[in-house]
Amino acid sequence: MPHHKTPLALEIHDLTVAYQSKPVVWDVDLSVSEGVLLAIVGPNGAGKSTLIKAALGLIPRASGDVEFFGTSYAQARDKVGYVPQRGSVDWDFPTNTLDVVMMGLYGQLGWFKRPGKREREIAMHALQQVGMQDFATRQISQLSGGQQQRTFLARALVQDAQLYFMDEPFAAVDAVTERAIVTLLQDLRAKGKTAIVVHHDLQTVPEYFDQVALLNKQLIAAGPVATTFTPENLRQTYGGRVSFLADGAQVVGMD
Amino acid sequence: MYPLEHIILQFLQVFFSQDAINGVLGHPQTVAIMVGGLIALAGALPGTFLLLRGMSLTTDAISHTVLLGIVVAFIVLAALSGTTPDLSSPLLIMGAAGAGVVTVILTEMLYRSGLVRQDAALGLAFPLLFAISIILVSRYISNVHLDIDSVMIGEIGVAWTDTTSHCFAHCESVTITSDDARAVVKRECSNCVSENLYPRDARAVFENLCDNCRTYTPGEAWSRGYSTQKPELIFFPKSLTIMGVLTLVTVLFVTIFYKELKLATFDNGLAASLGLRPGALHYALMTLVSLVAVGAFNAVGSILVVAFFIIPAAAAYLLTDRLSRMLMIAPVIGILGAITGYDLSRGSVLGLFQMSDILKQLDGPLHLKGYTTWNVSISASMVIMLLILFIIAWVLSPRYGLIALAVRRWQQSRQFADILILGHISHHEGTPEAPEELNAATLYEHFHWSKRAMQWSLARLRALRLVQIEQEQVVLTERGREHLMNFRQEMGVR
Amino acid sequence: MTSADRRTWLIILGLAIALLLCIPLSQIIFHINYNHTLTVVALGGAALGILASVIGCFAVLRHESLLGDALSHAALPGVAIAFLIAGRQIVALLIGAAIASWLGTQFALAITRTTRIKQDTALGIVLTGWFAMGLALLSYIQSRADASQAGLDKFIFGQAAAMVQSDVEVIAIAALIAFVLLALFWKELKLITFDREFAQANGVRVRALDLLLSTLLVLTIVVGLQLAGVILMVGLLIAPAVAARQWTHQLGQMVVLAAVFGAFAGGSGAIISGLDVALPTGPLMIVMASMIVFFSLAFAPGRGLVWQKWQQWRTRLSLTQGQPIAAQPQSEM
Repeated sequence: MPHHKTPLALEIHDLTVAYQSKPVVWDVDLSVSEGVLLAIVGPNGAGKSTLIKAALGLIPRASGDVEFFGTSYAQARDKVGYVPQRGSVDWDFPTNTLDVVMMGLYGQLGWFKRPGKREREIAMHALQQVGMQDFATRQISQLSGGQQQRTFLARALVQDAQLYFMDEPFAAVDAVTERAIVTLLQDLRAKGKTAIVVHHDLQTVPEYFDQVALLNKQLIAAGPVATTFTPENLRQTYGGRVSFLADGAQVVGMD
Repeated sequence: MYPLEHIILQFLQVFFSQDAINGVLGHPQTVAIMVGGLIALAGALPGTFLLLRGMSLTTDAISHTVLLGIVVAFIVLAALSGTTPDLSSPLLIMGAAGAGVVTVILTEMLYRSGLVRQDAALGLAFPLLFAISIILVSRYISNVHLDIDSVMIGEIGVAWTDTTSHCFAHCESVTITSDDARAVVKRECSNCVSENLYPRDARAVFENLCDNCRTYTPGEAWSRGYSTQKPELIFFPKSLTIMGVLTLVTVLFVTIFYKELKLATFDNGLAASLGLRPGALHYALMTLVSLVAVGAFNAVGSILVVAFFIIPAAAAYLLTDRLSRMLMIAPVIGILGAITGYDLSRGSVLGLFQMSDILKQLDGPLHLKGYTTWNVSISASMVIMLLILFIIAWVLSPRYGLIALAVRRWQQSRQFADILILGHISHHEGTPEAPEELNAATLYEHFHWSKRAMQWSLARLRALRLVQIEQEQVVLTERGREHLMNFRQEMGVR
Repeated sequence: MTSADRRTWLIILGLAIALLLCIPLSQIIFHINYNHTLTVVALGGAALGILASVIGCFAVLRHESLLGDALSHAALPGVAIAFLIAGRQIVALLIGAAIASWLGTQFALAITRTTRIKQDTALGIVLTGWFAMGLALLSYIQSRADASQAGLDKFIFGQAAAMVQSDVEVIAIAALIAFVLLALFWKELKLITFDREFAQANGVRVRALDLLLSTLLVLTIVVGLQLAGVILMVGLLIAPAVAARQWTHQLGQMVVLAAVFGAFAGGSGAIISGLDVALPTGPLMIVMASMIVFFSLAFAPGRGLVWQKWQQWRTRLSLTQGQPIAAQPQSEM
């Protein structure tokens, strides 16, 4: 495998994930440097979530290598943060917002140690960053979708990672939350951190992200938005069902 | 019940002699299998729909709570009629089935409150109802014949003994009163028991009590010599009637409402919007389940009837993709279980070997003290056979069985391995890294395969003329390229 | 800790004390004589109630409520075989029960992993199939006319009156083991119950913890069989947990409150049953637990049905008076 002078945040090589011997992610090569906001887009069933989960070792790979900052995931774990989809969790679990955020610190605490004052302060700080400090003691079932999403983000923030994976953070959130997430992402980039985000809204890709990866089981194209987010690539990714505004503006929708 | 049985018997006597009919109906094995077969049919049909809805365990809940229904119906009927109700009376059955419906309603109410999840709701409803019924039984009914064990566990082997007698000729019942010539009069102490006295006690009161003064059925009269002509009797097992009626109702219900049940099971929302009243259908189905559970408790016991709801349907689910076929295969499996189950209870496993042989082997190590006969609960044996049949289906099913799965997986992984390699070549050919990526000797490293596995695959691919080796690199042939393109098209990928 | 939290803990403490006071009160009012047997029975019931409700909290939150039902039924053949091998030795019977339950779960797991059959059906197959094997073995044992098998069928319905001190000790030890393990792994168990994927991504050994929880569940059921009976263990697992959930938003409080409820249900059920041999224990414990659950579902503030109706009435009132309504999103499970 070619080695770079400074290790990249993420290097995926020849990744294939199969389900019942059919590939759902096929032969993907992806390199992501530090300080980048990357969007992964593609139609439904394109394998976007699968790609992330396979990279994190949550589902088994049929083939391929993944390196985080030049080493394996197990060794780089404390540098990587994960924000799963909101729907993967039962929000009626008896716990409050602060508690969920503190769960992000369990990895640091290790077995048997209890979260204490220090952890609580870190968690409160993260809640402030997402504008949720007033909801700290709120039962999570009483949160709106956007508030739930911000809670998840705060949980990822306390991990103080260098590389963040986010699975559809913008899905079905209110405008306030959307703004909060964007601010957060830009904050991360300013600090030289990386965020890889599965995104469903093509319209906002150029606005929110620097780079984009177009995925439909295979990687169609990846790179800076300006050069990669082209009508031709989009047509290949979405199978030709993409429409454009008449004046050629860079706004893309699906029919 | 009685008139129905009578008509059926009159019909049968056109073709068969009374002795033949009594021979069949009095044969334990035949009756047990007939009743078991009916339960299998009545269970498999609703069980199929419930399995598809993910509601298999409600049958378990219902079978526990019908005990409450039986108890309450029993108490109510006893209080109303002043006598001990017959355990096979239709009123008792219907009242008992009500308890099953109550369970479902209670579960729904708990779930609809929004505070409890479905599985927890079920787990709250039925233990409570079951607990109440056990308390009632031990408190109030322990002196009457309603043994918990027989209700819960049952024994189908005695189904043939609980009969109603039907008389077809010389049917005179005989009543003996105290002035009848045949009356046997004895001088007995009438208050010794109630006042705890010895007969020699001065307070003991002696009366002339008639020993045999009551009404005798024709059969009893004949056997005691009170009548001159032998009545022609046929003994019809009660459980046969009950299960017969219930099975018929179930079959009719499923046949008449087949399309509605099918749609409601598959897409509840659509069914509702089409006005098919899936809610009412659901309760009707649950009522049917309750009725069958009650009807079967006499024979199989209410715990084991659940097996007839769940297991045959599950086995059928592995054998076919069509609902109509599933509804036909499930009862067959159930009936098969009933038939072979009887043999198992007597110690013969599918006719292949004997339990007593196994027990003789185990006598030493387990200190069985020579108890090597295997003669156990028939109901339990039928369920065990159902489990064995399920396992057979699980392993051998042509489409979904474990063997078929393994074969398919092996075939697919071989094809898949081929495609992985072809894809890898196509991906990297003509690129600067090609010499490293496509080097035949080190190719296995890129896939984390063993060297030998890679050699094997490469050999196969070369034999199929899909790749060749040129200058130490693997290269696609035209055929290989075509093969890959076909695969890509199939996958819907560029 | 917020003041609301502190308040709730005080209430829980107060409740526990009040329930403990029921013992001297019942002596005075009902003239119950707490002799050695009754004390043993009461302690056994309370201990079982605590153990079952604590484990039950996790079972309910993981949507595995009916797993307890299946495991209870699946234990029967193990009991029978253990009896054949070792006689009526409690430890042997418990080990047999545990092995049979465990085999049952593995079987159900194998079915769901390799076929399209769903978990509830797979559990149903194990439940009935294993139970039938147990019944067949029991009828074989009974056919031997061996006096020592008397009371084996009590495993189906439970009987407190037969309890001796060593039985209580077994339950207490099991409870202690369970608590220590739960306390040690508390935050990890909380995490995998709430967000399994996140836990996995963070390196938490999810499979190992799953195994821990299911082992504790099997242990609980096996230990409780002789007191509550096969069919009713599932009620003891679920009811206190569901009741406790209605009163609190914190997992820690939920578990402790469930333990208090469980102790009360188990203890009072065992005591009442111990007083009257005709009343079986398991059902009484379930009835007590159910009363607590239904009371909680109705009257718990913030979730209870009475509270919900009151809120609706208040909302309607505000609407008709033209006032803005304080929005409180409705919580559901």
